[in-house]
Parts: sequence; C-alpha cells; structure tokens
Amino acid sequence: MQVAFRSFFLQASWNFRGMMNMGFLYSLKPALDMIYPDSPERQAAYKRHLDYFNTNPYMSSIVMGVILSLEERLKKGEITEDIIRDTKEGLMTACAAVGDGLFWDSWRPFVAAAALVLAFGNYLFTPLLFLAFYNIPHLYFRFQGIFWGYRLGTDVIRLLRRFQIQRIRLALRYATLTLLCYLIPNHVNLHTPFLLTNLPLEYYYFGEKVVQGISATALVALAALAYRSKIDVLMISFLLMVCALVLYHWGILI
Amino acid sequence: MADHLSSALTVAIIGGIVDLDSTATWQFMISQPIVAAPLTGLFLGMSLGDARAGLKLGLMVGTILQLVWIEKLPLGMNVPPDAALASVLSVALGFLAGHQYETYVEREVCNTVALLFSVALGLFGRSLDILNRRWNSAIDRWVSKGMVAGKTDTISIGHSLGGVLSFTKAFLFCFLIAWLGVEPLRFFTKSLNFVYSSGFIVIQGLLPAIGFAVLASMCIQSKPELKAVIAGIVIFTILPASIWLIFPAACTIGWWFSRSTDVST
Repeated sequence: MQVAFRSFFLQASWNFRGMMNMGFLYSLKPALDMIYPDSPERQAAYKRHLDYFNTNPYMSSIVMGVILSLEERLKKGEITEDIIRDTKEGLMTACAAVGDGLFWDSWRPFVAAAALVLAFGNYLFTPLLFLAFYNIPHLYFRFQGIFWGYRLGTDVIRLLRRFQIQRIRLALRYATLTLLCYLIPNHVNLHTPFLLTNLPLEYYYFGEKVVQGISATALVALAALAYRSKIDVLMISFLLMVCALVLYHWGILI
Repeated sequence: MADHLSSALTVAIIGGIVDLDSTATWQFMISQPIVAAPLTGLFLGMSLGDARAGLKLGLMVGTILQLVWIEKLPLGMNVPPDAALASVLSVALGFLAGHQYETYVEREVCNTVALLFSVALGLFGRSLDILNRRWNSAIDRWVSKGMVAGKTDTISIGHSLGGVLSFTKAFLFCFLIAWLGVEPLRFFTKSLNFVYSSGFIVIQGLLPAIGFAVLASMCIQSKPELKAVIAGIVIFTILPASIWLIFPAACTIGWWFSRSTDVST
C-alpha cells in the first residue's frame, strides 16, 4: 500500500538522464528495505533500480508489483539480477504502450469531450464530474496494479490482454467522435448579419442553424487540414484570429 | 499593486499545486484546463465576493484552452506547453483586471486579451519546465554519487527536492505574473477602442473550432469514419439535441461499432 501511495509521486524528480528513475526507487524503497534488511544487499538493490526508467505513470504500479515479486525471488536465490533488469525493461515498455494508448490517447480525450459538452451548456459542476470520471480507472489501475503485479509476476501481461484494451480504445474513439458531431455544429459561434436582413422571420432560426452548421464544419475542416499539414496549433489559432478580426471589421461576422 | 498582493498569493498557491499535478505528482488531472481554470476562478471569485462570476469565467477559459491544447501530452522526452499555468494565469489576469469594468463587452475583451496573453505564458512555462527537468538531472547525478558513497538517504532528499523545485517554479512564476501583470493588462485593454474591439468576442466564439479540428484529426482514421462524422454533423445540425441524450448515444455508438469491428488488425 505504501508503494502504491508513493507511486503518486513517481515523476516528482523527472529528469532527462534517467527519467522516472529516482521516483521508481523512491516508491520501491520501503518494500526493498523489508526484503533486504542487510545493508550491502539493500544498497545493491538501490543501485539496480536507479537505472533509467520510463513508463505510463498510471501503469507504473504494475511494474513495481512484478519487480517486488522478482526481488523476493532473487533474495531466495531463484533468479539472477539480469532477469530483473530484462523484465523491468520489457514490462515498462509494454505498460507505457498500453497505458499511453488507453489513458492519454483514448480515455482523456473522451472524458474531456464529454466535459466540454457540459461546459458549453454552462454546467458549473463540470470540473467535478471530469475529475470523478477520469480518476475511476486511474485509481483502479494505480492501486490494483501493485497487487496484480506482485501476485501474477510476468503473467500480468496475460491479465492485461483479457481487458481487450484495443477494443476499449476503439469504443472510446467512436464515442468521442459522436460527441464531436454534436459539438461542431452547436458550439462554434459563427453569426452573420446577412440572414437577419434576407430571411423571413419564420425561417430565421432554422436558417441560422443550418448556416452555422455548414460554416462551422467548413472551418473545422480547414483547421484540420492545416493541422494535418503539420502547421502548429498556435499558428492556426493566430491565423483564425486575424481572419475573424478582418471579417468582423468588414461586417461579415457579428 | 499592493491590492493585488493577496490575490497574487492565492493565484500562486493554486498555480503551484496545479503545476505539481501536471507531471510531478498525483496526475489526477486537476492540471487540465477544464479543471484548473474554474478552480482558479472559484477561489478568486470567493475572495472578491463573486464566486459565480469567477467560476463562469474559469469554465469559459478552461473550455477554450482544453480544446486548443487537447493533443499536447508529456510523453517521453516531449515537454508540452504548460496548459495548467496558462489556465490559472488566464483566469487570474482576466478576472482581476476585468472585474472592475462595468459593461459586458469591456469584461469580455479583457478576458479574451488575457486568454491570448496566457497562451504565450504557457509557452514560456514550457521553457521553465525544461529548465526544471535539467535541474532534476543535476539532482540525479548527485543522488547517483551519493549511492556509490553509500548515502542511501540521498534518494529521498533528491526526489523530494525535485517536487519542491517544481512547486517553487510555478509558485514564483504565477505570483509575479498575477502581481505585476494586472495593471499593464488593464492599461492595454483600456487603450483598445471598445467599439471595434468587440471583434475579440467573435474570436472567442470561433476558437473552439481549432480544438474540434485537432480532436477530429486525432480520432478520424479512415474515409468511412470521415463520412460517418459528416453524416453525424448533418443530423445534429438539423435535429435539436439534448445534451443528456448525447452521452448515452455516444456510449451506445462506441460500444456497438467496436463490437462489430475486428481489432486484431
């Protein structure tokens, strides 16, 4: 449990040399102290885990659990130090790929898009909902990961496979796209005075909605094209601002 | 300037805590603009007796910054712009400089100028973050030497020092900007011609398009998906949609189509 709590501080000393190495050792320290009460063995374990370490922070507890179980086996003389090094290296890469894909690429954009739908509706409790939803899988993996890793050892990979993470990612991507379909026509505010003067009042609301939907989609498509052409987001924003100010000045946008 | 001292301290504490969450610790995502900005707005609003206005401003700023930087992630060596500090400072500057204006347009122009300024601050925050990580590399060297010399306590000290540096960096940065930046921002906003500067409100309405474009680029991966998205946009343009129906619809669509797709490829 102490290791799981310490893993929240994994990246406090993130650096370009060893990345999360100090955080990894800091998290494991209480458990290593228990496994190796003798000073020389303990120091060797400390040095072993001060090597380069980088993975997804939410999945790091799985690596920690596996490494602790291997350290216990090393203490009993069942395995060698090299096995611990190789396992750590392989597992941190696998967990980084799974965790980054699941949390950064899929879960965060989905929860953010859902929060944006609420925020555009002026629901003031949106940040609380965002935090609550986002952190359910985060905390689950963070605490449960230690026990999975410790109990299952390297078999933890099989357990992760059972989660069907690729399918979850796909479902989240489609759900995010659905939210996007709602957000684009409803929450890009493009208003032009021409409709007011040219459309009869009974058609005004529908006409405004259709024009806004079409122009918002065109604007988003243009921005997406620019983004895919590797133009920086800030440059696209700047160009959009300049165009908006010019169109406002000419009376095309209000 | 002395009036802003207590507000600047509040902003600095929030900035420090929020920045710790962005990489160094927890990662509960308090540092995401959609949370960090309303949090700042709430605390500043409470201290100035208008919590609701602060929260609303925070939500508006958070929404836009969340969208603009939705794809920026701290993966591996990549250090993204500091969206957390940008969110905190955008709300702080906009609220502190704008709450004395009487008209809606004046306040909104002030908020938009603060928002644009904070994007630049987010980029500067990235440079500070890189500097912080270089200091951490020096700490790592010191810890490694300590380990060789048998000083095992160096790991706890070095690791904690990294966290303290991260907090201090954000605290000082936010404090200085919130303390010294309000008056220049108010002066700049006053110098704008408010009749024409309401064009800034038009910008505010258009900025979400950038974020939607980035999100669409991230999520659309094939032509059939693009066609489906266009069809979805047409449906949501024509039909009135309740936001409470959108969530079950999104979850059902996600579940249904992922079931029928072969993910092994």
